[in-house]
Amino acid sequence: MTDTPRRITLEEWDARYAELRAGGLREPAYGGPLRRHLDDGDLRLARLLYDNSAASLRLWNFLLTEEERLRQARAGGKKLVGTMKDLGTVPVMAYSLPNVVAFYPDGAWWLPCVMEMSTGMLEVADSLGIDEAFCPVRAMLGAFLTEAHFPIPDLLTCSVGATCDDFSAIAQRLEALGYPILWWEAPSRRQPDPGEAAVCLPGGFPAPQAQVDFVRSELERLRSALEALAADRLHDGRLAEGIRAANRVRRLLAELRRLAYKAEPCPLPALEMLIAEMLAIHFCSDRAESLLVFEDLLRETRRRVDAGQGVLPPGAARVFWVNPVADLRVMNLLESCGGRICGTEYLFCHALDEIPEDLPPMEALARMALADPMVGPVADRAERICADIRAFGAEGVIVSRIPGASHCATEGAVIADVVASSLGLPVVEIEVPPLSDSMQPTLSTRLTALVEVIREGRTG
Amino acid sequence: MICAGIDAGSRAVKIVLVDADTLDVVGSATADQGIEQDALATRLYEKLLADCRLDRRAVAGVVATGYSRNAVSVADTTITEITCHACGVRHVAPEAATVIEIGGQDSKLLRLSPNGGVRDFAMNDRCAAGTGRFLEMVAARLGVGLEALGDMALRSARPAAISSMCVVFAETEIIGLLAAHAPPEDIVAGVQTAIVKRVVAMAGRKLAPPVVFTGGVALIPGMDRALAAAIGQPVCVAPNPQLTGALGAAILAARQRRE
Repeated sequence: MTDTPRRITLEEWDARYAELRAGGLREPAYGGPLRRHLDDGDLRLARLLYDNSAASLRLWNFLLTEEERLRQARAGGKKLVGTMKDLGTVPVMAYSLPNVVAFYPDGAWWLPCVMEMSTGMLEVADSLGIDEAFCPVRAMLGAFLTEAHFPIPDLLTCSVGATCDDFSAIAQRLEALGYPILWWEAPSRRQPDPGEAAVCLPGGFPAPQAQVDFVRSELERLRSALEALAADRLHDGRLAEGIRAANRVRRLLAELRRLAYKAEPCPLPALEMLIAEMLAIHFCSDRAESLLVFEDLLRETRRRVDAGQGVLPPGAARVFWVNPVADLRVMNLLESCGGRICGTEYLFCHALDEIPEDLPPMEALARMALADPMVGPVADRAERICADIRAFGAEGVIVSRIPGASHCATEGAVIADVVASSLGLPVVEIEVPPLSDSMQPTLSTRLTALVEVIREGRTG
Repeated sequence: MICAGIDAGSRAVKIVLVDADTLDVVGSATADQGIEQDALATRLYEKLLADCRLDRRAVAGVVATGYSRNAVSVADTTITEITCHACGVRHVAPEAATVIEIGGQDSKLLRLSPNGGVRDFAMNDRCAAGTGRFLEMVAARLGVGLEALGDMALRSARPAAISSMCVVFAETEIIGLLAAHAPPEDIVAGVQTAIVKRVVAMAGRKLAPPVVFTGGVALIPGMDRALAAAIGQPVCVAPNPQLTGALGAAILAARQRRE
């Protein structure tokens, strides 16, 4: 059995799985060969390239079995909370209660890609008047109506206000269809006025204390709702322990990002890192298990770094990636074009920062929610991106737009301008639809050209 | 020895042969693009070699570029059209700081660094409104050849306003203009203006002079004038603008051979 890291196809995973099993691979209950997910309808898997480690296999299996996990949780008497447009706050609260499981219905935005449009969820959204002028997260409407991808939660929450216009419209449509939503407002973050009481948020941006107080009051409403749902108290002690547990996951991810994005050669592919970052927000419906998944992944990455091994040849162009892609395959494409990921900003960088543990829990959570890049000025977001580019040593930037997503439309050009003028790095904007196959030649040209520019810059 | 650059674009295949030592152009050829792109490029390549009384053994390296670059089997390697156009333009216009290339399917803006490399670039995506495709559409709609568009635009006294950012919608506008008896010359001039506005919108930031205009669309009279007006500074059309990508590819093949 070889443990040499490399990217392999689903076909190759069949043999690799047999090899790992023969070598004594021990898997959790949700383990198994990757191919079974293809057989279940996740057609896109046949076109992706994967990391060949057992740790990555576990990551994929954890991701692709979330629906079963949610149904099991319900069958076991747990209450389900759908935390919409929430990048890391309400799940921390929900998991602080012993009999509550939170999940992320917005995650359905990847279903058109993963199932290669075979479920017709976007068509359902179309029929409801939420057409392609909206972000692909509109697929969530189809997921609710068909009940085919997650159970209908016992409580639905949704942040609104400064977070995302698209999502607000989509969630309002959902509520009108008979799915009650507990809305909570995230105000547009602003600079404190002179003399105004201010606090420093996770991530380093200042905000008026009054705005934090407002968010805290909104989160208090959520606390009450969660308590009513669980018929249990969500006291500060439980919240503090929930925050500590969330921070354990975030610390693991932070270390994973440090290793994966800085080590040379690249120890872990972009696709697995994207999945890992996404999982960290909501723990993929099992916080305790997500910790184990990350520990495995980190252990494997460390082993590779220590051994000087990577999944890509040394010298790959170091690219910072802004915004998540609707088509997972594009992360593979970057690497096939000679690039690698060295830093990301997938619109939830605040949810990767540790939540302050030295503050009253609700104050800490309110500050974290207000640090969301989607509620702040784009200049703040660009500033953080520049800081992360410096920290990870990226040589170029991809700003990836999501079709229909209003944040991407308005913020991409600003971020590109700030990065280019502050750091002098080449920036390329691309747009990635849920299935980008027909656009692969043009996407490939842009990504390859960026790699060429970066390489030429090294010699010039 | 000879090096070859093959620019397999969306509308045409262009080939340039250069002397690998002097980088002088020893031959060039173009042909309309088709379905069998590799066969087309290979036939054109062999015909050009024959016309220049050369055979394949005389060619030290072949670089393919352009939209269909990966389909060109005679190439040793591929390089994107971004890098190739920058190299080709720098060869014919060493002072160039900005390159605007408008081809059949896409348009590009390249910012060059002082050493001639690409500092940054932007390309249109999804929409053909900033490309030669727009001109093809209006030529077809007006029943004239592409080559006639330049003179028509120059005769326009009042370019029509084409407001759509999409070629399909713009075609509807053009049908409306024709129904309203707008002069075809004004429609063509309006389309030229719409194309350059689209390119300028993509360019976004200030353009460092000198600006060199290249790509097949630069061959159409009046486009350079429309572009200059839109960006507010003079525009220089590259010599043989349709060939700069292939020229750059050939030069890069020669450089690779030296390395």
